[in-house]
Amino acid sequence: MLLRFLSKGVTCAVVTLLFLNLGFAQVPQSVPSKVPIKKPAAVGPKVTQIDIEGLRALLKPKGKPLLINFWATWCDPCREEFPDLVKLDAAYRSRIDFVTVSLDDLAEIDGDVPKFLNEVKATMPAYLLKTTDDDAAIAIISKNWKGNLPLTILYNPAGGVAYERNGIIKYDTATAEIDKVLAAPAPIADKIVSLVPPSDMEY
Amino acid sequence: MKRMAFIFTALFALALAANAQGIAVGTAMDNFSLVGLDGKIQTLDALKGKNGSVVIFISAQCPVVKGYDPRIVEIAAEYAAKGINFIGINSNSTESLEWITSDAAKVGYKFPVLIDKGNVLADKLGATVTPEVYYLDAKNVLLYHGAIDNDRSGKAITTPYLRTAFDESLSGKKIERTRANAFGCTIKRAKAE
Repeated sequence: MLLRFLSKGVTCAVVTLLFLNLGFAQVPQSVPSKVPIKKPAAVGPKVTQIDIEGLRALLKPKGKPLLINFWATWCDPCREEFPDLVKLDAAYRSRIDFVTVSLDDLAEIDGDVPKFLNEVKATMPAYLLKTTDDDAAIAIISKNWKGNLPLTILYNPAGGVAYERNGIIKYDTATAEIDKVLAAPAPIADKIVSLVPPSDMEY
Repeated sequence: MKRMAFIFTALFALALAANAQGIAVGTAMDNFSLVGLDGKIQTLDALKGKNGSVVIFISAQCPVVKGYDPRIVEIAAEYAAKGINFIGINSNSTESLEWITSDAAKVGYKFPVLIDKGNVLADKLGATVTPEVYYLDAKNVLLYHGAIDNDRSGKAITTPYLRTAFDESLSGKKIERTRANAFGCTIKRAKAE
């Protein structure tokens, strides 16, 4: 009788201890940690944050023609044209510089932006413009532009605008314009080239 | 003959350029008529308030407009009480009447939304982006054109362009900033590219 009683008591104690142990083991998981949990970075290329000054520097060609595309993940036509941009990058790599500038919110620099670039296998240098003054940024980029995306601009090596497309690019037109710039002799001065109106505007 | 052809071409190019630029601040907008969501024809002159109107290009699909919607609803209600009436314009060929109607109800626009079929008004004004506003005085003279404010997210607005323009105008002051651009969605025009 006594043995049976003791046996039951030990069993109850073990069960209780196990229960408490499990319960305590779960406590730390339910208490919010004081260490901020960093959102895991999306898989994809590195996206570099730039400000207005960074943008100004980015718009200056560095010895080669420069193709620059302004886009955002929230812009349907931007996403639609991206496969063609990736094709352009592959076709002209090393002959031109090609960069993309996202106008997404800064929160997406480790999120939707690299995620999308990864999905479309985009490997050109990617930037995200963070500014509190869209108007100033737009004025730096193009005097003819009102900020509607996408926008693609081709600069000749001297910094003159050779081609500007506000809307989805047409691949054949873009390649023809890039070929023209690559075939052209080095421009004498920026101002002379800048007088040539962009050939493919859509407003 | 060649000279005539040249002059004609030059004039045509000038007309195209003028059209592309839309209307300038300080000039009057012509009255226009468009069909509302209820199928009835509405005019600018009938819809404007005693202190003017805001023609605002909106979209049911543009995430930037979606981000601005609560502010649009709030500002429209606040300034309707001060005699400035909002008129929503949807020029997107990609959005159906059903979609636009359901979106307007969901957002809770208290102002009329008109359908700009064939983007005739957008072409006339040179509107390209959503959201894009044209603030007109009681005589339909354009006072301010462009963005609502400087922050899409609404979390860090430092320059509320449209509100400032309203307040300056309503208090009889000169509107200091009459133009401001912002990143947004392209108006999906009906014309084939």
